[in-house]
Amino acid sequence: MKYILLMSGTKAGVDSYLAWSQKDRDAHMAVLAGIGKDLAESGEFVATQGLSDPREAKLVHGERDGMPVTDGIYPESKEFLLGYWIVDVETPARACAIAGRLSAARGPGGAPTNMPIEVRQFANR
Amino acid sequence: MKYILMMTGTKADFDSYSRWSREDLQRNVEFMRRFSKELKDSGAFVASEGLGWPHEAKIIRAGKDGEPVTDGIIPEAKEFLAGYWIIDVENPEQAYSIAAKASGAPGPGGRPGNIPIEVRQVLSSHADLGL
Repeated sequence: MKYILLMSGTKAGVDSYLAWSQKDRDAHMAVLAGIGKDLAESGEFVATQGLSDPREAKLVHGERDGMPVTDGIYPESKEFLLGYWIVDVETPARACAIAGRLSAARGPGGAPTNMPIEVRQFANR
Repeated sequence: MKYILMMTGTKADFDSYSRWSREDLQRNVEFMRRFSKELKDSGAFVASEGLGWPHEAKIIRAGKDGEPVTDGIIPEAKEFLAGYWIIDVENPEQAYSIAAKASGAPGPGGRPGNIPIEVRQVLSSHADLGL
């Protein structure tokens, strides 16, 4: 069963991440890299990707005169996708357990970030 | 440059989609097939997936001992990812123009849906965030 684990945050959340110390960021990334390695070893890893800064996001609605209509205005509360992991697991509970580990990745001062991770199955099952 | 094009909607949007006529659904699916084929033929296609229904979504946080805790309550206004395309293009304008095509996918009665498509660059490394 393929699941996508989505990590999202508001612009304010991204700003606070950018203000973390390099040491905190390195420790956080080391945990994520460790989870990636475990998933590769268990054969559950499919793909992972980080996305660029939400300030660069564009919203496109159709075309006018053959040109895409872009619109840069977002509500402050909008949750932007920060990154995702695609995993191929035996059970939904396993997808949730991996999401729990991602959410437990350490943040500033070593405390878990407790970031919410959205768990979604692919439509093409 | 790799971009992700994301189609999102609230639960209400998904409910209205589930009530489309068979003919409207078929027209939309045919468009999506053709759109994917065009992306593959042009060499821009990297990956694409559709996601399951939002009512099956789970939001997970780590509990005290690192165990997964499921948050059951999701606000009505939450935008759920419906599906995405990852494309590899020469410049952002190309990404916007492909997004505009996806946005024009036919809706009820064959009129362009004009649903918003969020366009985001995919990072090749953490250095792309300027860190």
